Amino acid sequence: MKKLAIVSGVSALVLAGLVGCTQTDVVAKYGISSFNEVVELSDVTADSELNAWSLSAPDGSARFLFSTNFKTTAPHDVMAEIDAQPFIDAGLDVTKLPAGMFIDGMIMVGQALGEQEFSANAQATPEASFKELVKLSRVTLGYHEALAHYGIDLGDGNKFEWAKDLAANDKDIVFVLDPVVFADAGVDVANVSGWVFAKVEVMDASGNKVEVEKLLKPFNLK
Amino acid sequence: MQQTLRISGMTCAACAQRIEKVTGKLVGVSESSVNFATEKLTVNFDEKVINYSDIQSAVSKAGYELHIEQSEKQVTIPIEGMTCASCAQRIEKTVSKLNGVSSANVNLATEKATIHYDPSKIRLSQIKSEIIKIGYKPLESIGVDKVDEDKARKQKAIKVLWIKFVVSSVFSIPLFYLAMAPMIKWLSLPVPEFLDPMTFPLVFAFAQIALVIPVLIAGNRFFVVGFKAIWQRSPNMDSLIAMGTTAAVLYSLYATYLISIGTFSAVENMYFETAGVIISLILLGKYLESVSKGKTSEAIKKLMGLAPKTALVIHNGEEVIIPVEEVEVGDVLIVKPGEKIPVDGQITVGYTAIDESMLTGESMPVEKKIGDVVYAASINTNGLIHFKATKVGADTALAQIIKLVEDAQGSKAPIAQMADIVSGYFVPIVFVIATLVAAIWFLSGQTLTFSLSIFIAILVIACPCALGLATPTAIMVGTGKGAENGILIKGGEALETAHKINTIVFDKTGTLTEGKPAVTDIVVVPGYLSEALILQIAASAEKGSEHPLGQAIVRRAEQDKIEFQSIDSFEAIPGHGIKVKINQLSVLLGNQKLIRENNIELKEFEKISDDLADQGKTPMFIAVEGRFAGIIAVADVVKPSSARAIQKLNKMGIQTIMITGDNKKTAAAIAKQVGIDRVLSEVLPQDKASEVKKIQNEGRIVAMVGDGINDAPALVQANVGIAIGSGTDVAMESADIVLMRSDLMEVPTAIQLSKSTIRNIKQNLFWAFAYNVLGIPLAAGALYIFGGPVLNPVFAAAAMSLSSVSVLTNALRLKSFKPYN
Repeated sequence: MKKLAIVSGVSALVLAGLVGCTQTDVVAKYGISSFNEVVELSDVTADSELNAWSLSAPDGSARFLFSTNFKTTAPHDVMAEIDAQPFIDAGLDVTKLPAGMFIDGMIMVGQALGEQEFSANAQATPEASFKELVKLSRVTLGYHEALAHYGIDLGDGNKFEWAKDLAANDKDIVFVLDPVVFADAGVDVANVSGWVFAKVEVMDASGNKVEVEKLLKPFNLK
Repeated sequence: MQQTLRISGMTCAACAQRIEKVTGKLVGVSESSVNFATEKLTVNFDEKVINYSDIQSAVSKAGYELHIEQSEKQVTIPIEGMTCASCAQRIEKTVSKLNGVSSANVNLATEKATIHYDPSKIRLSQIKSEIIKIGYKPLESIGVDKVDEDKARKQKAIKVLWIKFVVSSVFSIPLFYLAMAPMIKWLSLPVPEFLDPMTFPLVFAFAQIALVIPVLIAGNRFFVVGFKAIWQRSPNMDSLIAMGTTAAVLYSLYATYLISIGTFSAVENMYFETAGVIISLILLGKYLESVSKGKTSEAIKKLMGLAPKTALVIHNGEEVIIPVEEVEVGDVLIVKPGEKIPVDGQITVGYTAIDESMLTGESMPVEKKIGDVVYAASINTNGLIHFKATKVGADTALAQIIKLVEDAQGSKAPIAQMADIVSGYFVPIVFVIATLVAAIWFLSGQTLTFSLSIFIAILVIACPCALGLATPTAIMVGTGKGAENGILIKGGEALETAHKINTIVFDKTGTLTEGKPAVTDIVVVPGYLSEALILQIAASAEKGSEHPLGQAIVRRAEQDKIEFQSIDSFEAIPGHGIKVKINQLSVLLGNQKLIRENNIELKEFEKISDDLADQGKTPMFIAVEGRFAGIIAVADVVKPSSARAIQKLNKMGIQTIMITGDNKKTAAAIAKQVGIDRVLSEVLPQDKASEVKKIQNEGRIVAMVGDGINDAPALVQANVGIAIGSGTDVAMESADIVLMRSDLMEVPTAIQLSKSTIRNIKQNLFWAFAYNVLGIPLAAGALYIFGGPVLNPVFAAAAMSLSSVSVLTNALRLKSFKPYN
């Protein structure tokens, strides 16, 4: 019985240790490393105005911005900036979009993640900034099992996703938008040029697998 | 020699079979039988070829433990008078030197001596007297009581199982919750964010590993014994559990590895909770099983607890209280009213009534006078008596009964042997079925996870422990219940055969009748001598006679408080009677031949004599001074219960037959009184067995009920021999069932008990088989083929545990059996 008690205690300690150990966060670990591969294959520049790193889509029609420092970035720490023209062509009445979502011919979707200050090292490279971002706001990073994609939650049902395995996936990066807000603003969501309107299996807030409609703009980086 | 040894570590009938097989193969062992319910191995072996340790090591190699009961006893004696360490040393030295003492350890601080000794070589009283001789005072010893020891051992085992179950549950419940909560989304059960399987899959997996480890340790026995059995190519129930849960754990570990290398979808393929919950449920099942098993042997525990622990003995004229183990044959004991009789003996002083209900089931106290035998554990209800110990220790009637019941509970009924054979083949067959079915599902396109789930479910649901418990538990409760009611059933075979009996042959004298002839009629010649005077003359003439008829007349005279007269002369006339002179009166007392040969006329009394004979009575004729004076009729009185018992048996559809050496007329008269329609009369004692055989040749299954030495061969010849407890030791030795009371209503009760027990066994076997017959196809995915669900291995484990518990509960129902009387 003593042995059993010891082992039980040790098990509890091991569990506590494992939970605290960052090495056990494999989603973050592999998510960051595959994002680094995306960075390597993409055009990533520093956006000094927004204090963010800018990862542009190969055709320049969209970019994913992520903070170099939560403390200085505004208004969003993670954001997608998308060319609004195809949406306008599909009937978008920009005045019907929520405030701040349409700026200078671009659609902006994103969210603030915190106010913490990044260290100098964390601000030095896109990889370091992204790693710090995940560390400080781990829940923002998720895994989309149906597509084998990691994703950064941009809020309001919008996402920026990238493939877990770039070599095995032809959709290396994907901009994902919630079509409802656009449909409400007059967009014929099924006919937005360059965008795919599709049903996608995702997890809802309770973790249930549900099928939802999304606007997708995938890119192959290779 | 034959020896019964205790085995621990068995979990199912296959374990029992394995031990039988292993020990049976040993050179020098002629027979080996294991009773799973009593956890005892009965082995016949040649001491010259093989010894205990060889058997012990073979059992140990098979993964079980054999406990050899030590012939040595340990006793702790408080000692007064020690003042220093040298006193303690002196006592140690003195006691250690005694022949039969293997060690003596005296603790000065506690003032106690702990002594290991062989009671067959030295008595405790001798050890104490040696201590007294060197100047110290030993007080009452503190022995380790066998009943308490057995009880403590069983309670400890139950406690360990309970702790293991609690520990495994404490970890299994959160494990189950953690694994199931993300799957039962509609309940929205909260799970900490750091354990979310989609966000932190590896932490989720590690948390499950951390939770399952204590469960696996709590259930380590299943793995140790189970894999050992597989290795020795004799898989048992533990093997099924071990294989099922190991497959679940290994596959889950593989899934964890996949998660660690980035295949997060593997988080959905983990079965740690299955292994954890299975082990917890089986531990719960084992715990409930051991509690119920304890209850099945309550009868024997009750018997063992009956004997008092101390005795009041007269030693050198002084009354001394000593432990009952120290009482020797020949000791004179005193028992006060309300106290229990410590050992068997014969009353030397006093008169009392003794409650022997714990031995015989008879509720009325029995009156005892000087010379009567008293039995250990019976209660002296009113008078103070002194009695001389005649049987002590293992020789007392109580000890014999306990041994008889223990042996019966340990024996196997033929139906149990069948169950053992089936369960022996069952486990390997289940292995094959599980592997084949899982392979078929996998080859048909199902995932490895699905196939594995099927594999585990089949292994777990098919554990044959219910099958192994079905028969022995019912036999234990049945024989125990019999013992409680004064019916000692000597073995499982007798218990089983008794329910098939369709014919019962009753011996007459002492069985259907009291066996003690009594005066039934006194017929006098009007105007000659009075009834009292005839009885006085006849009783005085027969005083000192050893003839049963003569003794009956003397008893009647004593009852009527008639004064005996002295005899002037006495002459025995063999085959006729006696010729005596009392107060100068010439008296003839004997059969009709004696009267006729003396030319004395009977006249109308001849017809009266014939009528008495027709009623089964023996007329004894008396003539005084050459003139016929009257008839004293003597008959063996039918027991009050005989007619009721026969009526009950006839109602049960059992044919009753009476067998006797009496003439046809007498036999027919007795048979008529009790309601028996078939009579075998004028049967010589040596022919009783062949008469029973003749009835058996008619295709009938025969029980013989008898009490005398002359009944012994017939008792053996019958399918079931039933001896009346008031009868001779030989009859009781020869019988399969002993009725402790003389009440014949115990015969239908014994048969009904057998019927109830066998019905219970059949119900148990039905449920045990039904669980497996229905459970295996369900676990194999039979419902899934038709669009139904797949049996989760967790539910399979619950069903399996439930099967054992339900079988045991059913067996315990027998405790409510009510005897007919």
